[in-house]
Amino acid sequence: MTPHFGLPEFGFLLRGLQWTVLLTLVAFVGGCTAGLAVALLRTCGHKGVEWITRIYIGIFQGTPLLLQLFVVYYGLALTGLKLDAFVAVAIGFTVNASAFLGEIWRGAIQAVPRGQTEAAMALGLHYSSRMRDIVLPQAIRISLPATIGYLVQLIKGTSLAAIVGFIELARAGQIVSNQTFQPLLVFGVVGAMYFILCWPLSWWGSRMEARLALASQR
Amino acid sequence: MQDNILIEMKGVQKWYGGYQALRDVDLIVRKGEKIVLCGPSGSGKSTLIRCINRLEAIQQGSIVVNGHRLDDSIKAIDVVRQDVGMVFQSFNLFPHMTVLQNCTLAPIRARRISKSEAEATARKYLERVHIGDQAEKYPAQLSGGQQQRVAIARALCMQPKVMLFDEPTSALDPEMVKEVLDTMIGLANDGMTMICVTHEMGFARQVADRVIFMAEGQIIEEGAPDAFFRNPQHARTRQFLGEILAHH
Ligand SMILES: Nc1ncnc2c1ncn2[C@@H]1O[C@H](COP(=O)(O)OP(=O)(O)OP(=O)(O)O)[C@@H](O)[C@H]1O
Ligand SMILES: [Mg+2]
Repeated sequence: MTPHFGLPEFGFLLRGLQWTVLLTLVAFVGGCTAGLAVALLRTCGHKGVEWITRIYIGIFQGTPLLLQLFVVYYGLALTGLKLDAFVAVAIGFTVNASAFLGEIWRGAIQAVPRGQTEAAMALGLHYSSRMRDIVLPQAIRISLPATIGYLVQLIKGTSLAAIVGFIELARAGQIVSNQTFQPLLVFGVVGAMYFILCWPLSWWGSRMEARLALASQR
Repeated sequence: MQDNILIEMKGVQKWYGGYQALRDVDLIVRKGEKIVLCGPSGSGKSTLIRCINRLEAIQQGSIVVNGHRLDDSIKAIDVVRQDVGMVFQSFNLFPHMTVLQNCTLAPIRARRISKSEAEATARKYLERVHIGDQAEKYPAQLSGGQQQRVAIARALCMQPKVMLFDEPTSALDPEMVKEVLDTMIGLANDGMTMICVTHEMGFARQVADRVIFMAEGQIIEEGAPDAFFRNPQHARTRQFLGEILAHH
């Protein structure tokens, strides 16, 4: 007899949700850290370094994420490095996020008016202070809507992790659906979970965007 | 006399790519001198003063500020920027910081003085530009004239030996020009060494020791304001003065 969708199945989905959230957090925090480095290198003023960073960004933006996950999981296995599925996808998503966030923040850094940097230089402030005190606080504000938008994409995008056998929310839904033959109900619940996760973020993002637009009108 | 020289530019040549923006510029500024720099748009006035604090690099010639030769080393650039304050046409206040924070950031970070000392100095200079009561506000809450006065105070907080002004009143509504000019006149009367790019000829007459006229990247002529305005030597200067006086 096939099991019906009940508490144990719901619990299984919740565990999938947990993994989705965990993977998102790891990839986002790691991606933010590495992405900041990417953005700073991409705008450092040294032609060679900027060019290399540009290629780095280009590679990760220009190839399918799926392929990148394969490379990390199976490619590294070929070199004898057998990674746990979670570690592998976490690395894959982190590196990918660093390229996308790096590019978002590159744009934001360059959107801070040149006069801000010039005033800071004229005051004798060094690069680290110019970035930390003047440019980045303004760039982060500018990039907030796009950064939140990327986070929402990332949450939904983690479902790709299923491809290397990692059981996150979408994969958990598929498994439960196959067991219960209640795809509509199961995927309805899964969809609701994604929605509860993403919608507040989307809302926050568009509110930020509206607020920024208003501020720039003044 | 030698040690009275604050800025010395010799044979300065500056290119933007293939375009030569400064041609063989020589300039000596002595302690306490007030210099007004004028000339048509694109003549290189901004470029000239931006070379003095190395916002722009030069390709030939030499610049010495307060005895320090400006080269490409971070050390030299640092030393020179400590001595040179700058005020921009578009104020360039830091919008995410209060007026007080705008004024204390550089002293704290670049001069490494304590926060309380930096704040005391900042309040002193804010008082001096008559804006002491706005210290906790953000730049966007102030008028253009007030913002420019904050920018002047911010530069003064670094206790520079010379102040550079790049058209400080050009972005202001007419009714706010006077308050900024008055602030600059006060500064001049206190003995500050100043180079001002401006087309405010009343200001030039009142405070300048020398007026310098530039065209096409060259210093064409210079003189005391009286002689400069009454009896300009070059046709190019006469034409320029005719144009701006017609405007005013
Ligand atoms: N960053 C730059 N890159 C290329 N060309 C530049 C740059 N900055 C200035 N120039 C050019 O150099 C010349 C001198 O410019 P500069 O800004 O010094 O003139 P200016 O006398 O200050 O003019 P204005 O009165 O319009 O401010 C102009 O022809 C300008 O187009
Ligand atoms: Mg100019």
